[in-house]
Amino acid sequence: MAFIRRNWTPEEANKWTREDVIAIIVSPFAYAFLMIGVALSLLLFLWGFVFLIIGIILTGVMHWVIDPKLKAVSSEYEKKQREYIENLEKIVSWRE
Amino acid sequence: MVKFAFLDYFWLVLYLILMTGAGVLFYNLGKRSEADFFLAGRSLPWWLPAMSVYATHTATDTPMWVSGVIYKHGFRGLWYTFFSAWCAIAAFVSARIFRRSVAYSQAEWQSLRYSGLGSELLRGWMAGWGFFLNMFILGWVGMAMGKLCNYLFGWENWVGLVFFSSITAVYVLSAGYWGVVMADFQQGIIAFLVIVIASLWGVREAGGPYGIVQKLYELGESWRLNPFHFTGFFSGDFPVAWFITMIIIAVLGGFGMGTSIDWYAEAQRIQSAKTVRDASYSIWWGTALTLMRNAIWAVAIIAFFVMNPFLTDVKEYEMAWFRIAFEHLPAGMTGFLFAGVVAIHISTISTHLNLGSIYLTRDIYHHYVKPDASQKELVWMGRIATLFLLIGSFIYGSMMEEITKWLIFALWIMGAGMWLPNILQVVWWRFNSWGYLSAWIANLGFSWLVVWILPTFGVIPELPDYLQFWILMFLTALVYIPVTLLTEPEDMEHLVKYYVMTRPIGWWKPVEEEARKRGLIK
Repeated sequence: MAFIRRNWTPEEANKWTREDVIAIIVSPFAYAFLMIGVALSLLLFLWGFVFLIIGIILTGVMHWVIDPKLKAVSSEYEKKQREYIENLEKIVSWRE
Repeated sequence: MVKFAFLDYFWLVLYLILMTGAGVLFYNLGKRSEADFFLAGRSLPWWLPAMSVYATHTATDTPMWVSGVIYKHGFRGLWYTFFSAWCAIAAFVSARIFRRSVAYSQAEWQSLRYSGLGSELLRGWMAGWGFFLNMFILGWVGMAMGKLCNYLFGWENWVGLVFFSSITAVYVLSAGYWGVVMADFQQGIIAFLVIVIASLWGVREAGGPYGIVQKLYELGESWRLNPFHFTGFFSGDFPVAWFITMIIIAVLGGFGMGTSIDWYAEAQRIQSAKTVRDASYSIWWGTALTLMRNAIWAVAIIAFFVMNPFLTDVKEYEMAWFRIAFEHLPAGMTGFLFAGVVAIHISTISTHLNLGSIYLTRDIYHHYVKPDASQKELVWMGRIATLFLLIGSFIYGSMMEEITKWLIFALWIMGAGMWLPNILQVVWWRFNSWGYLSAWIANLGFSWLVVWILPTFGVIPELPDYLQFWILMFLTALVYIPVTLLTEPEDMEHLVKYYVMTRPIGWWKPVEEEARKRGLIK
């Protein structure tokens, strides 16, 4: 099995897996590199451009890893959402 | 004082027409139901709430605050603005869990996560607190606009506060969240353009990128270009200990709900997204744009520093970005800039008008006062609540000088000792409503003691804020952990329902096993 999974059944995608952990770890670094990269590259520092490119690559990697899973979670959840909203309306209206 | 030319008036009037037009256009969608008035029918693609996240967190006082920290600290001050990085993890954890709960507000989520009397107490408390918090933010941001108009045009402070908030209320009352999010989209684009143009113009005026760097070296201030220029591990005004604390609070806070005050506005955007995926990307990209905006501002403020070095009056250098923009842009562009500032302002006001009214409508009126209210009644209740907030914000705004320090204290106590409970309620099945309630109460008491009372009487020295955070977190835990363990867990039936619906992360094994035993999950 590949280190990063790209195909998910809805039930498998509902579990927290390695792909979530990778996205969680990569994401703050992507933010930090993008922020510092923009600031330093506007003053034309070489390191600024390097940081900015690293930030863009990390963002791309994060999306590549997590997007198939998010798609699977979403498609499965949309089917159940109507039922959950109906339950919520019962709770808010004291009908339960 | 700033003088407007014809072109300046043109930009401003054009923008005001565009903005109020958004409300009129989406009136028919906003009035359809409670879900439309507050969540745009949970139907938005990720880029609309993303732009709304960005626009909302670009308020009139934001450039003042960013100017303050960057002027004082240089690029290392960017880490003060990095608190919004809680969305780095939240986008893939708490946003996913919250979106699946389908709760309208954080207060409603409490009643899905917890059960019984404790859950109702929490919902009522969170709703009341949320309503007044939004009123406070409206007053605060509105007064920042009043002060800016005073600086620019010499108007009395209340004029800018009342005029621009009232204009905003027109489309929020008409179209609810539909109006907010659609207007935010155009406001976000205008605000971003204005920030980029004005900031780059400032860089040009200061001698361009190379000129700025050279002048910083000549002034002996080149350290300002280093984002990691620490003053020691514990010593100085930028210690490593502060940096580590801030990174932990910001980033790990993403596992919880409510660890940042911005969560409550984001929660509405998460819920308005059409899928879980859209919800995740909306807050991730909205925050990415916010952080890059801070970086652009930071460069402009460094440019301001080389033109006006060594200012010591905070009130003076907090206006750095506004000054660089209004004092240096050519004639005809001032109105464009002011239209951008109006965009910045109005996007924040509209969000908090609509967000605050959710609590009064959904969590108080619909839940407790009139559970069988029709959709039409609920939309009208939303409008009445919006009007209450507007009027309340004028009163708050006019009192702001006196109450600000008290309210900032209230925000601080919410942030320190509540940080961990806000995470625990998401990741630990055994954490219950009594634990959460006791954390609120304990944190209130300990914050008074640690932040004010004990230092005032000389019992303990005045502590740096990062140390206060750790002490409050520890002391509060001494109360809520025993309370949680000595009281009953939440009802298993309720927890199983919540688990199946949201699939939370963390320590949920007993609930997961029960759900599996009942055949609810595979």
